[in-house]
Amino acid sequence: MATREVNLPDIGEGVTEGELVKWLVKPGDRVEPDQPVAEVMTDKATVEVPSPVAGVVQKLLRQEGDTIPIETAMLVLETDGVESSKGSSHKAPPAAHATVANAPPPVAHTMTMASGSSATTLGTTKPGGGIGGSVDVYPPPASSKTLATPGTRRLAREFGVDINTLNGSGPLGRVTREDVIRAQHGSTGAGATVAGRPTIQMPPKAAYQGPAGSKEERVPLRGIRKKIAENLQMAKQVIPHFTLMEEVNVTELVHFRAQAKAAGEKAGVKVTYLPFVMKALIATMREFPMFNASIDDAAGEIVYKKYFNIGFAADTPNGLLVPVVKNADQKTIVDLSREISELAIKARDGKLSLEEMKGATITITNIGSVGGVYATPIINHPEVAILGMYKITDRPVWVGGEWKPAQFMNFTITCDHRLIDGAVAANFMKSFAAKVEQPSTLMLAMV
Amino acid sequence: MSQNFDVCVIGAGPGGYVAAIRAAQLGLNTAVIERQALGGVCLNVGCIPSKAMITAAYFLHRAQHEAPEMGFEFQGEIKVNMKKLVTWKQSVCDRMSDGVAMLLKANKITVIKGEATFKSAQELEIKSAEGVQKVVAKKFVIATGSRPIEIPGFAFDEKNILSSTGALALEQLPKRVAVVGGGYIGLEISSYLAKLGAEVEVIEATAGVLTGAADPECVQVVQKQLKRAGVKVHTNAKAKSYKVAGKGLEIRFDIAGKEEVLTVDKIMVTVGRRPNSDQMNLKGIGLAIDERGFIRVDAQRRTNLSHIFAIGDIAGQPMLAHKASHEGVLVAEVIAGQNRAYDVKTVPAVIFTDPEIASAGWTEEECKAKGHSELKIGKFPFAANGRAVSMRETEGFVKIIADAKTHLVLGVHIVGPEASNLISEAVLAIEMGATLEDLALSIHPHPTLGETMMEAAEAALGHAIHIIQRPLNKGNGGGHARANP
Repeated sequence: MATREVNLPDIGEGVTEGELVKWLVKPGDRVEPDQPVAEVMTDKATVEVPSPVAGVVQKLLRQEGDTIPIETAMLVLETDGVESSKGSSHKAPPAAHATVANAPPPVAHTMTMASGSSATTLGTTKPGGGIGGSVDVYPPPASSKTLATPGTRRLAREFGVDINTLNGSGPLGRVTREDVIRAQHGSTGAGATVAGRPTIQMPPKAAYQGPAGSKEERVPLRGIRKKIAENLQMAKQVIPHFTLMEEVNVTELVHFRAQAKAAGEKAGVKVTYLPFVMKALIATMREFPMFNASIDDAAGEIVYKKYFNIGFAADTPNGLLVPVVKNADQKTIVDLSREISELAIKARDGKLSLEEMKGATITITNIGSVGGVYATPIINHPEVAILGMYKITDRPVWVGGEWKPAQFMNFTITCDHRLIDGAVAANFMKSFAAKVEQPSTLMLAMV
Repeated sequence: MSQNFDVCVIGAGPGGYVAAIRAAQLGLNTAVIERQALGGVCLNVGCIPSKAMITAAYFLHRAQHEAPEMGFEFQGEIKVNMKKLVTWKQSVCDRMSDGVAMLLKANKITVIKGEATFKSAQELEIKSAEGVQKVVAKKFVIATGSRPIEIPGFAFDEKNILSSTGALALEQLPKRVAVVGGGYIGLEISSYLAKLGAEVEVIEATAGVLTGAADPECVQVVQKQLKRAGVKVHTNAKAKSYKVAGKGLEIRFDIAGKEEVLTVDKIMVTVGRRPNSDQMNLKGIGLAIDERGFIRVDAQRRTNLSHIFAIGDIAGQPMLAHKASHEGVLVAEVIAGQNRAYDVKTVPAVIFTDPEIASAGWTEEECKAKGHSELKIGKFPFAANGRAVSMRETEGFVKIIADAKTHLVLGVHIVGPEASNLISEAVLAIEMGATLEDLALSIHPHPTLGETMMEAAEAALGHAIHIIQRPLNKGNGGGHARANP
C-alpha cells in the first residue's frame, strides 16, 4: 500500500484557483478512478473533481470554503499501488519546497538579536513566516502551464505583474513582452488579467455587527453566491451604468410566436419569446456595433466583436447563472429554442461547464415570467450592455380614433456609458422596438 | 574588532563565488569565506577533476580500441603514468581555482580563509591557522554545500575506504575496486577506472543503476556499455562490512539474503551526498532546517531569518553546480533590491558515463503526471548521424517528448557522444516554450552531432529524413537507421 496526494487539477484555460464547495467523500471511503471526490467552484461553474486512481481516502487536506490553487493537494489517498508519490512530480523538485507546506517553519529565536555587537545597524531578524516555496514571493514564479521566455518572465517580475494571470497573445497562448508591458500600464486601473478581468481596487471589507441579542443567522459567503458578489461588485465599480426603458407593442409578435410554438411542438421544441428577442437584438447590434463590444482598459482600446454570443440570465436554486448561446446569429429560431432549453436545464441542475458560461458578447435578462414593470440590471463585465425583457400585459391602445386591445412588453437597455451615449442608446432602442413590433421585418435580417 | 560587510557569503563553491561576484558587481561590499580551496567541491574534488580523469581515460580507451581501426600503429603497449596523470588533473583544478581567485580579487571581494561559525544571527567567527576573526554583515548567504554520505561500517579513511574525493586523488591505479552505490558519481568514476585498467564491481542496493536519475531507455544504453567495459554490476545488493585481509580488503554484501564476498584493493562508497547543515551552528541561531537536512528557503532563497539566504546543495535538490550558480546570481540581485525569484522551467542534468546521458524537462511518466495525456515522441539514433559515425561514436540516441496537440517540447533525453554539450539547446527550447516545429525548422549545421536534435524533432513529427519512417504522418516508430551522408 502507498499514499498519494490528489491535486486540484487544471480545470480550464485561465482558471488559477477554485473554491472547495463540498466534499463528496470522507476519510475511510473507498474511491474508484474518475469517481468525483469534491465539488469545486471556479469562475461561475461548479465542477466535480475526479480521483485519478483507486484507493481509500486517508485524509482531507482542505476544508469546505477553502480557496485552492490549481495543482495543489486536496486530499491523501491510500492507493493500491506500490509507490508513494506527491500529487505533482516535476523533475527534481527543490526538496525544501516539497515538504514545507505541511509543517510551519519554526519561529526564529529572538534571543539571537541580543548577542550581535552592533545590532542596530544590521538587517532585521524577523521570525520568518512564509518559507513555503514559491507562494510567498510576489509575483509567484511561472507555473508549468505558463508559456513565456525567461526574459519576459523576468520583465513581468520587475513590473510586479503575475505572469500566470495574463492572457498571452502569442502562439499557443504565449505571454509576450508586449502583453506584460500592457498589463503593467493597466495595473493602476483595470488590467488585462485572466479573461480580461480588470484588477481593480476593492473597497475595504466592512464588518457588520447587528444589535446585541438580535436574532440573526450567519452563513459563510461562499460558492456561487461569493462569485456573484465579486463579479457584480466589480462590474458596478468599473462600468458607469445607465438604463433606458421602453414599452413595446408585441401584439404581432404574440401571434407570430403562437404559430411558431405550435409548429415547434410538432418538432418537440418549446418555442419561447427569447429566441425572437435574440434575433431582434442581433439585428440591431449589427446596426450599432458598439453594443457588441468590450473595452480593453489595459490597452486603452475598444474591441468590436464580429461574432454574436448571447448570454441569458438563468435563475437557479444556487443563484444567478448566465449560460451562453454561441454564434446565435447563425442559428434558427428552432435551434435557439432547443439550445436555450438545454442550457437552462443544465443551469438548474448545476451541470453547466465553464465553457458554456464563457464568451458572451451581450446578455439578456428575462424576468417576464415572474413580474415587475422594469428593472435596472447590472452589465455582465466585460460586455457593455444588457437587455432586460419583462412581463407581457394587455392594454388598450388608441388607434384611428378608437380603442383597440393590444399586448405590450417592457424592455430596458442598460449601457456602459463610457462607450455608449444616451442618444445612441435611444436610437438603438427605437430600432430594436421596431423589429420586435413587426416580426416580419425581422425576417429580412434573418440568416 | 570585527569587519563589516554588506554581504558575507560563506562557501566559495559554484554557488558562493558566483553570488559574491554578482553582489560586488552590484556595488555591495562583499566578503566570501572558504575553509578549503576556492571553487569548492566542484572545481577541486568534484565536477572538474572527475572530467579531467574521464577525458584521460577516454583518450587511452580510444587509443587502444578505436585508433587501430583507423590505421594507427603503436609500438608496444600504451601505458599511463598515474602520477603524471594526477599531477595534470591537479593542474586543471588549480588553474580553475586560480581563475576564481583572480575574479574575486578583480571584483574587490574580501576573501577570508577559515572555518566559519555563527556566533549569533548577525555575527560570524572565523577560525584559521592565523587565528580567530569576526565578521558582521547586513546579509548572509550560506553556500556551504554538501559532503559524501557515509554508511555504517564503511567510515571514510581515504586509504581503504574512499569517497569520491579520495578516488579522484589516487596516485596508483588499484587493481580491483568495489564501488558501493551505482548512482551517477559511482558510475562516472567506475567507468574511468575500468578504462584505465582496474577491475570494477559495483554494489547497488536498488534494482538498477542510475535509479531515478535518468530516462530508463538512456540508462539501458549505459548499462550495455558498462558490461562491455567489464564493469560488473550487482543489483539489489546491500554492502554489509569489510575487513583487511592480507594485502587486500574483503567486502561482504547480501543479495536476496545470500552473502557474497569480494576481495579488492580499494572500496569506494558513493551512495549520495548530504547537506552540510549540521555545521556552523545553523540550528543554534534558529535557522529552519527540514528533515532531510536542507535549509528551508523560499523562491528568493531567503531562509526563515530574513537577512540570511541559502543556495546550492544546502538549500535543496537537485544538488547540481549549475543550479547553485543560478541561485547565486539570484540572491545577490535580491539582496541588491531587485525583484527576483527562482523561476525556471527546468534544471538540466548531465551524467558523464560512457556514453554520456543528459536530460532537460520531463520524462514520459512526468509528462503524463502533469496532464499531458497524449505525447509525440521522436527518437533519432546517433548511428544515423554522419558526424557520430566519423567519430566512431554511434551508441545512443536523442529522444524528444512533446505534447501531441500543441507540439510543445516537454522533455529531451540524450544518451550518446557529447550529450552534455548537446542538451543546452533543449534547455533553451523548453525555457522559450519551443515546439517541435521550432526545432525542426531551425537549420542545424552539417556535419555535427547537433543535427540529431533537429532530426529527433522531425521524427516526432513523423518525417525524419535520415531514418525510415513510413507511412508519413502516422506513428513515430524508430524506423531503420542509415548513415547521414
